Amino acid sequence: MKYSLFPGCIAKNMYPSIEKSTEIIFRQLGIDLIRDAYTCCPAPGVIRSYDFDSWLVIAARNLATAEKSGSDLMTICNGCYGTLHAANQHLIGHQDALKMVNEKMSTIGVSYFGRTKVVHFVDVIGDMIPQIRENVKVELGLKIAIHYGCHYLRPSIDSGQNPENPEILEGIVRALGCESIEFPEKLSCCGAGGGVWSGDEQVSLRILEKKLRFIKESGADCILDVCPFCHLQLDQGQKRLKARYEIPVLHLSQLIGLSFGTKDKILGLHTHMVSTRDIARKAKKARREIALDGD
Amino acid sequence: MTIELPDIIKEFDLKRCMQCGKCTASCPAGFESNLRTRLVIYLAKSGTDVLDMKELWCCTTCYSCQERCPKNVKVTDAIIRLRNLAVRNKNFPKIHIAAINAIKDTSNGFPLTPEVSKIRSLLGLPIEPHDVAHDAEELKKFKILLDSLSLLDLVEVVPE
Repeated sequence: MKYSLFPGCIAKNMYPSIEKSTEIIFRQLGIDLIRDAYTCCPAPGVIRSYDFDSWLVIAARNLATAEKSGSDLMTICNGCYGTLHAANQHLIGHQDALKMVNEKMSTIGVSYFGRTKVVHFVDVIGDMIPQIRENVKVELGLKIAIHYGCHYLRPSIDSGQNPENPEILEGIVRALGCESIEFPEKLSCCGAGGGVWSGDEQVSLRILEKKLRFIKESGADCILDVCPFCHLQLDQGQKRLKARYEIPVLHLSQLIGLSFGTKDKILGLHTHMVSTRDIARKAKKARREIALDGD
Repeated sequence: MTIELPDIIKEFDLKRCMQCGKCTASCPAGFESNLRTRLVIYLAKSGTDVLDMKELWCCTTCYSCQERCPKNVKVTDAIIRLRNLAVRNKNFPKIHIAAINAIKDTSNGFPLTPEVSKIRSLLGLPIEPHDVAHDAEELKKFKILLDSLSLLDLVEVVPE
């Protein structure tokens, strides 16, 4: 099996630890990630809010790149998924829109036929629970506050998920030997989307803080996200608030990486803003107990 | 693309709205800002100009309102398209121009910085990611494509 990896701007250019962890876990799962030359997805919050057609054309150029390379496109970001999946659905459902983007792209010799399949890596992982179980070397036993983020779930007409009661991440967390803990506002937004992160810092941070307060009260060891933009907000955002929450933030690729026995530093956990020391310590202890090589 | 308010009312089924307020109750941004989704939809469907409402830009596009709307009004999609219309009236937060310019110059909304290059190198990743930003030929083509779109013209700020 192979996918064309669409890492997105933030995993590449702000949290490369997520790009690295993704490469590591998919290698362990025997899935090839090929790399094609992509641009920004483009950002569903800002670019789509400014000009829907420009958003569609830039997305179509990326979809055409995957189509030409002959692989399904896999995102590790809800924002990229929100754009590429929604734009793809729109193009497949609207012949006039497909014609419009192709006319624009003809100036640079690119065409799109609507054949690319866009998948979110959570769905790929969710379909591999037996292989995940086989590869788990370290059961971390962490109490985890799952943050789905918005655009993996909603709009459900595109995602096919149950947006009020999703279960896929809970299943993955269980397969890794961790525990998902419940907290109010679990399925709500982190406050970063829609251009609000850059457009209105105060509103963005207040939405974030409300969520962080509930997570802190829940006693979670860490927050788990499936989107580098949520990750940026949850990790860097904690440092922009006056109150100190100090809740470590892991992207799913990083939690799987740790559980598959990769050292925290190789996964780049030390490059986050909020210290992940406690998580790294637990992982190290668990590795020692089973005498895993390298410690 | 030309956009008019009546097209938005029709395309996103705003007339179906019965003002129940489930959208406002579901809105995480509404709790922390002046955004009242029900009001935005009420005004828009009545044909009132909402384009100078600053709170139009507080929506995080989380889609909770659209998901929960009992009348299947495409609330979030409508807000996004109302923003498109506001942009055409030069009513938008100028702060976003930085991200749009970043895409224009590098093809990425969040461009690579020297600090993160160091982290990439530390993690054993290629210092320059495999992307259009680091492929001169593809970047040139992307810029030609972007120049043919409305995006850059729309955000061009006329000096006062």
